[in-house]
Amino acid sequence: MKPIRIMAASGMLGYGFTEEAFKNGLSMGLDLIACDAGSADPGPYYLGSGTAFVSRLAVKRDLGLMVKGGVEAGVPVFIGSAGGSGSNPQVDWTLDILREICEEQNITPKVVVLRSEISKEKLKSKIEKDKITPLGPIAPLTIDDADNSHRVVAMMGIEPFQEALERGAQVVIAGRSSDAAIYASVPLRLGADPGLSWHMGKIIECGAQVIEPREGQDCVIGTIYEDHFTIEPAHPDRRCTRTRVAAHTLYENPSPYHLKEPNGLLNTKAAVFTQTDDRTVKVSGSLWEPSDKYTVKLEGVRELGYRTIFMAGIRDPILVSTISDFIQSCRSRISKDVLALGVEENEYTLEIKVYGQDAVMGSNEPVKNSQAHELAVLVDVIAPTEDISRAVCAKARYSLLHTDFPGRMCISGNLAIPFSPSDFSAGNVYEFNIWHVMECDNPLEPVTIEKVDLFN
Amino acid sequence: MTKLRDLAKVIRSKNAGALLLTLDIMFEDETTYKKVCNSGALSPRTLAPLYNVSDNQIEVIPFDVALAIKITLPRSIPAGSPGESDVYGAQQHAPLMDIEIPI
Repeated sequence: MKPIRIMAASGMLGYGFTEEAFKNGLSMGLDLIACDAGSADPGPYYLGSGTAFVSRLAVKRDLGLMVKGGVEAGVPVFIGSAGGSGSNPQVDWTLDILREICEEQNITPKVVVLRSEISKEKLKSKIEKDKITPLGPIAPLTIDDADNSHRVVAMMGIEPFQEALERGAQVVIAGRSSDAAIYASVPLRLGADPGLSWHMGKIIECGAQVIEPREGQDCVIGTIYEDHFTIEPAHPDRRCTRTRVAAHTLYENPSPYHLKEPNGLLNTKAAVFTQTDDRTVKVSGSLWEPSDKYTVKLEGVRELGYRTIFMAGIRDPILVSTISDFIQSCRSRISKDVLALGVEENEYTLEIKVYGQDAVMGSNEPVKNSQAHELAVLVDVIAPTEDISRAVCAKARYSLLHTDFPGRMCISGNLAIPFSPSDFSAGNVYEFNIWHVMECDNPLEPVTIEKVDLFN
Repeated sequence: MTKLRDLAKVIRSKNAGALLLTLDIMFEDETTYKKVCNSGALSPRTLAPLYNVSDNQIEVIPFDVALAIKITLPRSIPAGSPGESDVYGAQQHAPLMDIEIPI
């Protein structure tokens, strides 16, 4: 079997890579250049708002080099989970950048777009057929959850990418995708071993995480042979090490041994990692357990309202020593003041966090008596409208600034406020309310596939 | 008794999806890794109280090839929900550092 060589350009589209690595990778002879653009890590806001957490400028730079290199060398280019969450507005945002790139480079590659947003109607019909189950500790999905959802994406597997190639794609811009599937789709289409293909995909999807020295993101090469695969940096002066490759199998996974994918389960229990030279790691023994049902992960958010935040410092030693009681008394004063505005307590949420005390770990904080000489207080208000949100935040600020406490000497103000204006609108607030698995009739069911003419 | 922070090379935390938190402890040499694994100090029973979960919600998985121990548990709220303090879950490892290992 001819070796199949895949290049992951970066761990995240927009996090960058060196041109030296990219050119060197291209010269090795590639079957695919791909990049994952997504992550749920930055939280529900990005799926909710349909906006990216990387800059347009950075995505244009990375995608520009990938498309230029791919088109010139005749190698397909895949972008998975476009725009961060892989929602339709984020796919469109990426397409718009691609259009600009193609205009500037005067090229016209065949572009196929894979969209995987799921409608409320689709969700409800799947719920009624009992085809949606929780993924982890979350309640079963109800019709109400579907109705209350704001935006939902399905995480596609390898098949839509393979179908895009069947339709002649040179560049594929995909919605929410399994990270490993973006890379595994090509070797699997060429008949490579599934255990090796999926495991290779999983390892290279985070780019330079497996590379030393760690100097930002860079390109990584996975090459699949008959009974093993290798991982190496595309950059000639960098190294892949066995420790980093093995350790990456742990990263962000609940288990180091199993990785659930739409059409089966990757089992790495018997995988063997070997350092073959100072820059290459060989992996063998990864197993694939196909499943009889085809399932895709669903990620969905609902809209909660509007956020306003306020942050300030506290340096007064008497107030620092009595901070918990002080926050308590402010809380009851704030709820009274807000009620006087005609806003009921159940209409908003008010969080007051004290940095220097337990703001990061909350009730899990093992240190009970902080010795900090200064504290930061963070007020976080979520309310149905911007007006109410700002009103509650303003009442909280006033209360924290001017409420008495036992032994108070600093009677002109309790807070050091670092900014003017003091209160910040943080926009719409969303919450993950769908984190489930949906059974599909076939792998293409949750995806719409379209050929795009960028210039019409 | 030795604190875990003096035996491990990496002690880290991160979300595993929006609903789970996963903590990795990695060691530089196999002897220390094995000793910590066999000490019994890192078990669901000892770890659950640190994170306010019950024993059966917490999983401890040794991973020999990486000389690593993985601990996975549910988050108290989905990542980024109201009340969140650590969207990425990257700063939830501190309580592990001071665990006393009887070796």
